[in-house]
Amino acid sequence: MQLRPPGWETRREAGKLPSMTIVSLRNVQLRFGPVPVLTGVDLDVGPGERVGIAGPNGAGKSTLLSVIATLRPPSSGEARVFDAEVGTPQAYEVRRLIGWSGHDPALFDELSLRENLYHFARLAGLDIAEADKALHQVGLEAAADRRARVCSNGMRRRADLARLLMTRPRLLLLDEAHAGLDADATAIVEALSRRTVADGGAVVMVSHDRQTMGEHVDRVLTLREGTVVP
Amino acid sequence: MSFARQVAEFCRRDLLTERRAGEVLTIVTPFGAVALMSFPLAFGIDSALVSRVGPALFWVVVFLFTMQIALRHSAAERPHQRAVIALLGADPFARLLGRTAAAAVLILAFMAILFPAMLLFYSPDLPEGWPLALVPGALAGIGLAQVGTLAAEVTAGLRTRTTLAPLIVAPLAVPLLIAGSQALESLASDGGILPWTVLVVATDLALAVIGAAIARPLEEASL
Amino acid sequence: MSKPTPWLRALQVFASVAVAVGLVMALRAPVDAFQGEYARIMHVHVPTSWLAFLAFGITALGSLLWRVRRNRRWDRLAAASAELGVVFTAMSLITGSLWGGAVWGTYWDWADPRMSTTALMFFVYLGYLALRRTTDDAEAAASRSSLLGIIAVVQVPLVYFSVNLFRSLHQTQSIRPGGATMPTEMLVAMLVNLAALTVLYVALLATRMWVMRREEAVTIEPAAGAGVVPPRLEEVGDG
Repeated sequence: MQLRPPGWETRREAGKLPSMTIVSLRNVQLRFGPVPVLTGVDLDVGPGERVGIAGPNGAGKSTLLSVIATLRPPSSGEARVFDAEVGTPQAYEVRRLIGWSGHDPALFDELSLRENLYHFARLAGLDIAEADKALHQVGLEAAADRRARVCSNGMRRRADLARLLMTRPRLLLLDEAHAGLDADATAIVEALSRRTVADGGAVVMVSHDRQTMGEHVDRVLTLREGTVVP
Repeated sequence: MSFARQVAEFCRRDLLTERRAGEVLTIVTPFGAVALMSFPLAFGIDSALVSRVGPALFWVVVFLFTMQIALRHSAAERPHQRAVIALLGADPFARLLGRTAAAAVLILAFMAILFPAMLLFYSPDLPEGWPLALVPGALAGIGLAQVGTLAAEVTAGLRTRTTLAPLIVAPLAVPLLIAGSQALESLASDGGILPWTVLVVATDLALAVIGAAIARPLEEASL
Repeated sequence: MSKPTPWLRALQVFASVAVAVGLVMALRAPVDAFQGEYARIMHVHVPTSWLAFLAFGITALGSLLWRVRRNRRWDRLAAASAELGVVFTAMSLITGSLWGGAVWGTYWDWADPRMSTTALMFFVYLGYLALRRTTDDAEAAASRSSLLGIIAVVQVPLVYFSVNLFRSLHQTQSIRPGGATMPTEMLVAMLVNLAALTVLYVALLATRMWVMRREEAVTIEPAAGAGVVPPRLEEVGDG
């Protein structure tokens, strides 16, 4: 089953969108040992799209996201991201276009929030001034020199979002991005996602909370029994 | 970012973390010193025996505690952190090399503290020109950092990593143990340290080549 | 509370004078014919060894009182005393080893149970301090470390006993310092140094506890959540 947003084909033909599909999954299957997690997922996400995938806990949402992030090759089927096939060396080249935020912020506990962002900035080949700018944008610069270990989870989540503001990914993957965030942090997620789309990128988010997610995406799909349905 | 600067960045992160957490300096090193002390207590006070086997015991302690340093909890990366680093486009070999360099600094510091303690506790009869043996010794320390970091990567994210990793790779580090400890013996019997230095350099280089070859699949396997 | 109280100042001055007097007496005291000038090391070695044991005893006492009373003061006492204990133990080991090297001809003597016990004790309290470092929360640090403070003081005499027993089974030590009684002047100098360094210990303990109290009162870190302001999303833009 192929899922595309209404009017996608016509918009593409009218030249309003780049022809390249950002995410393209064809009959993607994935097993953990004897347990089938994804049993045949078809999904297309094009530039300028924001797609939400809902499903209960344990449905395989995070696993699907890690396939889209090119971090986990499917057991069978074809997964292409920015036209690079997941599981091949091509995929390594497109990784820097992908930004991922989960409920566990990727911060090193003994480093301060600023040092964490500097670390990510240097690895991404960015100027560290970009890190300071992002900390300012998320409203953390006054707290930036505190060690991540002593920061509240909310602050850590914001620092994680600052990383994504800084690296400016073209494919934004959000895992339960709205869970436990206050209004300000939710607004950051929203701004981040709007900007990604404006840049010609795409957003894929997964959540168990279909209703909340529905307010932030163009269409919501459901992951059920290992497959994506409308 | 150039490869060399990525290496430096990973090394810097691990050393900064150690400076804050103090896991090697305040926990592993004193434990190593206690291990050194426990041998003479277990042997009984045969001071001649202790001074004869002292340097070898030093190497056994270094060999085993190196794994503790390479697997130190404060340097462990959570799965999500590994994923984010990979998505930033960092070179997996730069990561492995940078983290190995940090582990080497810590292991050499550990050895530098324990060596005088060994001299004090065991009063070994050191042969003429013994400082020469420090060269293969330090090179063996670097090799142990390589093996330990590879072990840490192979077992990244596993629940049993701190016990499993030493089991997997300690046997592979045996050439380093032999070269490090035999360099001194060899000096005592006028054998010179060259063969041992060659052995340890060859092992270090082999480990570097292995590291370069498997850094990518190693990272992919633990994402 | 920015300056030390007058009595703490007085204690610090008194301790400094006492240590100076002790040092002069140690340098002027007659020396043992067998040990020569090395005997003077004893004026530092004996008091620091005694203070090491005293300090760890005080740590245990502070730990016990903290568990009973839950008053921060007792935890500070235990922690400050453990830090000083580690310093005095290190001094005792270094001076003892130097003296042993000069007089016994060996820097480390496994046959001396006091030496092994002191060294093991040193590591136990290094562990105690490392345990305290693992958390920034003073209460959490206290509740774990107070238990170790109590366990350690019970265990140390057993370690001493076991090492002593070990020695009696493996007696190899040949040269021992002569059993000759100390000249009175030397004994007096030793006792003065013992008193002076004990006063120093008390002064350092009081000072360290004072510093700790101030450290706890000052919050360097902002309160949780403070320092977080609304985001500046207008700066993020749409591309």
